[in-house]
Amino acid sequence: MNPLDHGQALYTRRQFFGKSALGLGTAALASLIGKEAWAAASAMPSMRHGVPGLPDLPHFAPKAKRVIYLFQNGAPSHVDLFDYKPKLRQMHGQQIPEAVLGGKRFSTMLDGQTARPVLGEITHFAQHGKSRAWVSDFLPQTAGIVDDLCFVKSMYTEAVNHAPAITFLLTGSEMPGRPSMGSWLTYGLGSETEELPAFVVMTSRDKEASCGQIFYDFYWGSGFLPTKYQGVNFRGSGDPVLYLSNPEGMSRAVRRGLLDDLAQLNEINQQDFGDPEIATRIAQYEMAYKMQASVPELTDFSQESEATLAMYGPEVRRQGSYAYNCLMARRLAERGVRFIQVMHAGWDQHRNLNTQLKIQCDDTDAPSAALIRDLKQRGLLEDTLVIWGGEFGRTPFLQGKIEDTKQWGRDHHPYGFTVWMAGAGVKPGLCYGSTDEFGFNAVDKKVHVHDLQATILHLMGVDHERLTYKFQGRHFRLTDVHGNVVRDLFA
Amino acid sequence: MCPVWSSSRFAFALALGVVASRAETVDFKRQILPILSDACFRCHGPDGEKRKAKLRLDEHDGLFRTVDGLTVVAPGQPTESELIFRITDADPEEVMPPSDSTRQLTKTEIELLRTWVKEGAHWERHWAYVAPQRPEVPAVTEAAARKRVHNPIDAFVFTRLAKEGLTPAPEADPATLLRRVSLDLTGLPPTPAELDAFLADEKPDAYERAVDRLIASPRYGERWAWDWLDVARYADTSGYQGDPDRTMWPWRDWVVNALNANLPYDQFSLEQLAGDLLPGATTEQKLATAFHRNNMFNGEGGRIDEETRVENIFDRVESTATVWMGATFTCARCHDHKYDPFTQRDYYSLFDVFNQMSETGRGGNGQIPPVLDLSTAAEKAAVAEAQARLGATAKEVDDFEWKKFARAPGKPLTESDADKLPGNLPRYIARTEPRKRTVDTLLEAVRYFQANDPAYAAVLEKLLSAVRVKDEAAGRVTRVMVMDQIKQPRETVVLAKGNYEAKTETKAWGAVPAIFRPAAGAFAAGERLNRLDLAKWLVSPSNPLAARTAVNRAWQSFFGTGIVKTAEDFGVQGEPPSHPELLDWLATEFVGSGWDVKALHRLIVTSSTYRQSSRVSPEMAERDPSNRLLARGPRHRLPSWMLRDQALAVSGLLVEQRGGPAVKPYQPAGIWEEATFGKKTYQQDHGEALYRRSLYVFWRRIVGPTTFFDAGVRQVCSVKLAHTNTPLHALVTLNDPAFVEAARVMAQRVIAESSGDDARIEQAFRLATARAPTREEKGILRGRLKKLRVEYAAEPAAAKALAATGEAVRPADLDPIEHAAWAGVCLLILNLDETLSKQ
Repeated sequence: MNPLDHGQALYTRRQFFGKSALGLGTAALASLIGKEAWAAASAMPSMRHGVPGLPDLPHFAPKAKRVIYLFQNGAPSHVDLFDYKPKLRQMHGQQIPEAVLGGKRFSTMLDGQTARPVLGEITHFAQHGKSRAWVSDFLPQTAGIVDDLCFVKSMYTEAVNHAPAITFLLTGSEMPGRPSMGSWLTYGLGSETEELPAFVVMTSRDKEASCGQIFYDFYWGSGFLPTKYQGVNFRGSGDPVLYLSNPEGMSRAVRRGLLDDLAQLNEINQQDFGDPEIATRIAQYEMAYKMQASVPELTDFSQESEATLAMYGPEVRRQGSYAYNCLMARRLAERGVRFIQVMHAGWDQHRNLNTQLKIQCDDTDAPSAALIRDLKQRGLLEDTLVIWGGEFGRTPFLQGKIEDTKQWGRDHHPYGFTVWMAGAGVKPGLCYGSTDEFGFNAVDKKVHVHDLQATILHLMGVDHERLTYKFQGRHFRLTDVHGNVVRDLFA
Repeated sequence: MCPVWSSSRFAFALALGVVASRAETVDFKRQILPILSDACFRCHGPDGEKRKAKLRLDEHDGLFRTVDGLTVVAPGQPTESELIFRITDADPEEVMPPSDSTRQLTKTEIELLRTWVKEGAHWERHWAYVAPQRPEVPAVTEAAARKRVHNPIDAFVFTRLAKEGLTPAPEADPATLLRRVSLDLTGLPPTPAELDAFLADEKPDAYERAVDRLIASPRYGERWAWDWLDVARYADTSGYQGDPDRTMWPWRDWVVNALNANLPYDQFSLEQLAGDLLPGATTEQKLATAFHRNNMFNGEGGRIDEETRVENIFDRVESTATVWMGATFTCARCHDHKYDPFTQRDYYSLFDVFNQMSETGRGGNGQIPPVLDLSTAAEKAAVAEAQARLGATAKEVDDFEWKKFARAPGKPLTESDADKLPGNLPRYIARTEPRKRTVDTLLEAVRYFQANDPAYAAVLEKLLSAVRVKDEAAGRVTRVMVMDQIKQPRETVVLAKGNYEAKTETKAWGAVPAIFRPAAGAFAAGERLNRLDLAKWLVSPSNPLAARTAVNRAWQSFFGTGIVKTAEDFGVQGEPPSHPELLDWLATEFVGSGWDVKALHRLIVTSSTYRQSSRVSPEMAERDPSNRLLARGPRHRLPSWMLRDQALAVSGLLVEQRGGPAVKPYQPAGIWEEATFGKKTYQQDHGEALYRRSLYVFWRRIVGPTTFFDAGVRQVCSVKLAHTNTPLHALVTLNDPAFVEAARVMAQRVIAESSGDDARIEQAFRLATARAPTREEKGILRGRLKKLRVEYAAEPAAAKALAATGEAVRPADLDPIEHAAWAGVCLLILNLDETLSKQ
């Protein structure tokens, strides 16, 4: 926060303490401090409650106040799920034309396989809703909400391996070390809540553990931004936030008493030393105490109706499942969390497309669709942006042998894939852009990863070229030196 | 607090300060060059390929040239200067920077530029690329301040303060000072005995002798190793998929020993960069080169070896540039630097130096050749034993399987037979010999068969555990990854956009960056430099940055912020030094002393500048929030690793065993499992290993130790310290068993060592803060103690639980209620801002 304003706030606080001495409950005092430390912030345009962002943000009126990114880690097969290409069935088993392949590189998983036979979709496609969007029968619930979705079918990216591609999508760079999208947005826009972290990450994987992708912490790292902007990874078991629970044998009442005295003793030291950091520390301890109450309340689903729970599917009560995380995402959105990154691993079907794709879809279809329906019925979809998608697509040709149907697979494919968006500011029922007749290269209205990033930032009221941070002498930004806002996606 | 804003605001204040103090001229280096760089160099700077209108403003000739009758800058004549004309042009098509640029000039900046031209347009090269000249130590004129000058540091700082109309703060009281310097030099607080001795020492050099004692302590090397481990991106695993364990700890111990032995910084650098190439290199010198094998290593399935190899070299080039040149080389990987005079050729010249080792990019374990074998007989015996156990278990599995899969005993199924089985997993299992199976597949297999063949799953689980034991034993055999040199040098070419596949025709060979060549003498004679040559140049007088970056990092560790705040960037886009003469004086002093690190640290901590009280008035807190002017002593929250060490020390739990393999203290259950899908299990240590210093805590790269916050991530080279302040940090020091156990053991200590509530409160308070509590403070703590007694008397089970936190023994005869009440008080004391801070 602004040091001058902070100084002002301090001064008032000291006077306040001086007058009221220790008459009042210190708890009440301490919570006042918490509020007051952010008092200057409330005057700023970018926030009313919570934690302030930068003074000149948002750059323009935002359509979305928060983002839920449903990240499908491992890369779902666009040609089996959304990008219907009759040509694939027609040419099933035949070589994909060289002109389409164009000597492009793939992962070394394909080393030793020179054949590139077309693999027809293993699913059945149909058109749905008023928008007549193509969705495969593996995703019946998603098919039911297509008129709320905005499909981008012409995505493309740079990297051919998971970690670099995910890092690229989330941080704008293939190499780890840059701030992730959530860090940029919370740095720029601050938070609407004091009681929960502004940027929350939740991870899950498929039940069968069919692929071993790891969730690296740089997927939600703050890079060179201060570490307070890094995503807080809610754990899939035990306390969602590390060290949230009081130690065994210390009740909330005992803790309250300790914190009251701690605040009082720190205040004495503050009067002696005058360091404004001490006041911040008092406020942060108070916030920690609040978080100890707000997180358990957050994870308590007992007030959710049976209908709501049923919508998310049977796994919703299992902490650490995708369904659980989707419901948590809605609850976090309600409580003012700025950026919610839900990551689900299990889409990497190199050799088990016929068995695993269905399982992934079963795990994720209902919860993803339920989240959209749930946000909508609560009026939250109006200012919440939801994005569903992976780090790239999968090859329209086969990895494996055509006669070995059990081991059919598709390799990594950065040249064309599909994501969908929904909610604040995006046009519902739109199918934007397209790939070629093989689903191979994005050809019409191509959307690069940097374009997607620029677009997300724009919906949040942020000009991607103006949200910068100077590090190592350069003004860095999420989109590096690229990115065009795809205005055609806006409602 | 938002450090970003406060810093930019203060940078502005600093600049204004300069204007006010020398109203007669604009300072090119500090006021003009940063504007030109930030607003113009992007298109009119060092990057030849992207340069617009062939106009170059970062070099003298470009800035002052005349083309077609137009002079870019005409000294003394703003109206004749095209530069001034263009930045004030009313035509939006013509104005510079272009009207759609995100960087626009402010009115103040335009005025500064105009004034600079009017005053004669004095130009000089960016300070960092000119060798430091030893400045004269200024005379402090103000009498009171003059008396306080203890060494030249003070002369520089105090004259600057005088210019600002400020005076230094009084000296901190002795107890505060001893705590501050003990934490800074050894990472541990003073013991009560040390404190008593110091307070009783009335000799005038009491402080200096305390400093000497601390610097001579072996704890000194353990404290300072931490900062270097951040620089070196040291960790106990490789990172990325699989995140295999490494045995790099002998290098960590090398660093501790080198620091304790006060190995001169030039030699310290030489040995780590090229110890293997020194004539008659010793094992220790070869071990030192593990420095550049501490980078992450991507062994992800599907990776292309060459891509990994090239990325590793990128990391080495860029880390080297950051540490010894304060240069941000990453930009030059793909194109000439936009702001600093480094070309892409320069980048690949350094690349060539690191391109000559035998690493291939292949390999997925944590001991990728070349390695230095430091294994012991015991380690090898453990592997042999584990192999034997695995053999026996594999036999059991085989006995089970040849019935299950109908195959010959001792022989796996052939591929075609295996393919007849349903599912991928049984197929894999059946055609792989039991002893050759991996943890990953066995994990899957156990899960898979648990449902349909529990007896088989049980056998496989046994095998899994035997494989794990074998892997672990093999992983513990000490082999340290080090550098080597191939005989037939590789040819290096510039890679377009840094893409390992996009080889250009442009060759590059080992050379000093062009900007430094004019001063580099023999290093610039045109011979292809190898690693040793480069290392020698880096610590030679012709590199103007090795000493500056080193003293700046030291300064940052003591004062929280470097003299150059952007410790990672000394280039034109970095922040100019707050005290340029002091920086150069320290740099030349450091080199003159024979790169004596301990002498440098001694010089800093014995200065009056360092010894000032850290009390701050509201006016100064407002005027200089981050204390860049140094009108007071440093005050910061301690690094999180030091907080843990401090808690261990004050409770008496600390076990001071030095060196050896990493240890695994408390960590919440499931952290590794969740991050690695159950492939890695955290096996917490017990006994003394729980209480070793943080330096020795095992660092899994993809999910670092949970006790530490604001720490370097140990993924890439990090030279910057973080001091953020969040609720999550409070949760650690309030609830992490490491801290709660320390509090309850600290309670045991004060109960045993003092008698009566007052004495115990005093002892606990003094252990943590090095001072006695005031009456008011004592009153609050006594009140809390009484309440806690009441609360715990009502909840005896809770008392028992709290008093039993952790694995340390507790006296059986100690009343749990009394113990818990005191544990609460001690936990409170450990969380005082004063305890958490260096004050």
